[in-house]
Formats: sequence, C-alpha cells, structure tokens
Amino acid sequence: MTALDAVSVYTPAFRVPIENLADPLGLTDMQVRLFRRFHGLGEIRFDPDRSLADLLRTAATGIDELRGREHRVRYVVYGRAMPVVVPYPRNPLHEVCGELGLGHALTFTVTQQSCASGLLAVQLAGRLLAGDPADGALALVLTGEKAFTRDARLLPGTSIFGEGSAACLVSATGKRDRLLSYACDQRGEFDAELGEPNERFQREYRPALAEVIRRAVADAGLTLDDIRLVLPHNVNIVTWQRLCLLLDFPVERVMLSNVPINGHLFCADAFANYQTARERGLLCEGDRYLVAAVGAGAGATFAAMVFQH
Amino acid sequence: MTAPDAELDTVDAELRQRVVDVMSTVLQRLLEREAPVTEDMHLADELGLSSSLGLELLLELEEGLGIQIDVETMNPDELQTVGELATFIAGHSRPW
Repeated sequence: MTALDAVSVYTPAFRVPIENLADPLGLTDMQVRLFRRFHGLGEIRFDPDRSLADLLRTAATGIDELRGREHRVRYVVYGRAMPVVVPYPRNPLHEVCGELGLGHALTFTVTQQSCASGLLAVQLAGRLLAGDPADGALALVLTGEKAFTRDARLLPGTSIFGEGSAACLVSATGKRDRLLSYACDQRGEFDAELGEPNERFQREYRPALAEVIRRAVADAGLTLDDIRLVLPHNVNIVTWQRLCLLLDFPVERVMLSNVPINGHLFCADAFANYQTARERGLLCEGDRYLVAAVGAGAGATFAAMVFQH
Repeated sequence: MTAPDAELDTVDAELRQRVVDVMSTVLQRLLEREAPVTEDMHLADELGLSSSLGLELLLELEEGLGIQIDVETMNPDELQTVGELATFIAGHSRPW
C-alpha cells in the first residue's frame, strides 16, 4: 500500500500583501478587495533569490530520511502545473537529482493535470513501487514552482499563486501515512485554450470536486463523517465554504489557515497543509484525512486522496 | 440553512428593503442594465449574474449598507432570486 514516509516543505519567508500586487498583476481596487474579503487572500509568498532548482533542492534536502538511502530511490516524479518553466536544454529536475545522488533513478515530470499533478505524482510513484521487484524501493515526489509570468501568478477572479516547494518520500510498505484511495475526474471540455466559457467551469467546479471527494471517501470504505481533516488546495476560502455546504461537511475541519499567508502554491499546497496539520497536532494516529486538488488550464482535473495517518 | 421563504417572517423588514433597494441599483450598474430589477427576478438565468459578479455584488452591499454578510452559511444554489438573496442577507448579516 502506497505510503508517505516523510514530507518536507519549503515556504519562503518573504511575503507580499496582495495590495502590493495590484500594479504588477493589473488588478483593480475592487478585485483586490474581493480577493481579501471573500477569497481570503492576504499575503503571497515569493522567493526572488531562489531559482526553481533552488526551491526543489531546499525541499528535498529537508527530508532527513533520504540521507543514506539514496540508492534505494528508484523513481523521482516531479508534479508541476506549468508545462514549460526553463529554456531547453536546461532541466532543473535532473540538475537537482544529480546533486542529491539520485542520478540513477528513473526521473520524469507530470504536468498534464496542472495543479492536481502533485497528487498524480504520488499515485504514479505508488504504482511504480508496487510493480518494482527491488526490496525497499523508494520514490521521491517533488513539487514546486516559480510564479514567473502574469499567467502563472494570477487566476483571474479566483486566486493568486505563490512560490514554494515540497518533497515527499514514498514507499510501498511504509507505516506513516497510508494511501487508502484516489479518485480523479479529468474534464477535457474545460480547456481554456479551446475557449470553453469560464462561467460553465465555475458553475460545475464545486459539484465536480464534491463528486470526486465523495468517490474517494467511498472507495476508502468510509463516509465523510470518518474524515478527521481535509487538506485543501489553497484556491481560495469562499470556494471551500460553499463546497462544504454542498458536501454537508463542517468547514472547520478544512485546513484553510494557510490561504491568507501562502496564496495558492500550485501542487505544493497539499504538502504544505499536511505539514501545518502535523505541526499543530491536528492529526492523530489512525486518523483518516482527505487531500483535494483541482487543476485547470489545458482541461480540468478534479482529484482527491484519502490517507490514514 | 433555513429556506429563504421560511425566514421571510423573521428578518428585519426595514433592512431587507434597504438590501433590495441597494441591490437593484448595484445590479443595474454591474450588468449595464437600464430596465429596473425586481425581487422576483432570477439572478443567474434572468439577469445573467455570474459567480464572480455575484461576489462583487455582495461586497458592494456590505460596503454600501455597512454590514458584514455571513457568507460561510450562504449557499448560492439555494438563493436564486433577488428577493431570496435579500431575505438571506437581512437574516444573516451584522453591522460592520
């Protein structure tokens, strides 16, 4: 059974109030006030001094359990929202893997599910390990991005992206956080590049996410009452408030406290929220929790995972 | 959440009327609409109010009326007309 053996998160200390982003992002005063009042955004994290490779390296070196076990890492899977992030032939992932002593591992990137690609990476890592004959084989999942263009920094009327990264050591037999189920719904009709009306996507967003959440919970043999905590994607607060009404799930059990201080950290939200939950003692041994993400852009992906801590 | 119709008898009627008045004015401006907006009008299907413009409407109501709306308990799927939204706001808001 796929398990998360260790998680490391890097969130830059440098934070910018959203009011200071109005000019660079071309936001009106009304748009900024809406983001603060209803979307719950306050400050966005950036790290102007660190490159993408630096972000990935910082997260990966934070996993103490990796040291001395590098030879057991068979796969490195990088879940990322943006398809292209550096000019060819540079490859920050290969660069970092070489530095970490992971040059031998099968290394690749998944971007097809945009901000849900982090969960896809965990799922793929688990499936690869399940089919790997090597004893004690491990996989390293990486997430992290630079918010380097206006398109990469702003989801109009919805969210503002920040910078951060996470690394996650995955095993097939670990005891810490075991994956009980994974549900995913890929909706190609919501392809922004094909001009699909945004309003229909907005209208179907919550029902579609609610459906995969219910499916993930049912596939785990549970009901929503069994879910101790939801670790959301940090798209915004009002979406989760309304989703909770739809699910009849208490919003107090959704960990939204990172939304005002992080912004939406692409695929790293899930891991950053996991770390915060651990630090605050919100997860006890045996607790079942749900992680949810939505990827939008070249089609939309709604995804949810249930774990047992 | 209590159904809007059931709440009609319990909300502050004067506040509700002020919400309707401000909402009508704001909606006309946001939707660039010359014809008057009435309580029975369907926000999405009839007036074409998008979810993002819906949030802008709520913010303008909060700022115009000096209230804070309890959005946490607000299910937009159950508040389909101008009158239903006004009833909800009158029953689920407090002075700012």
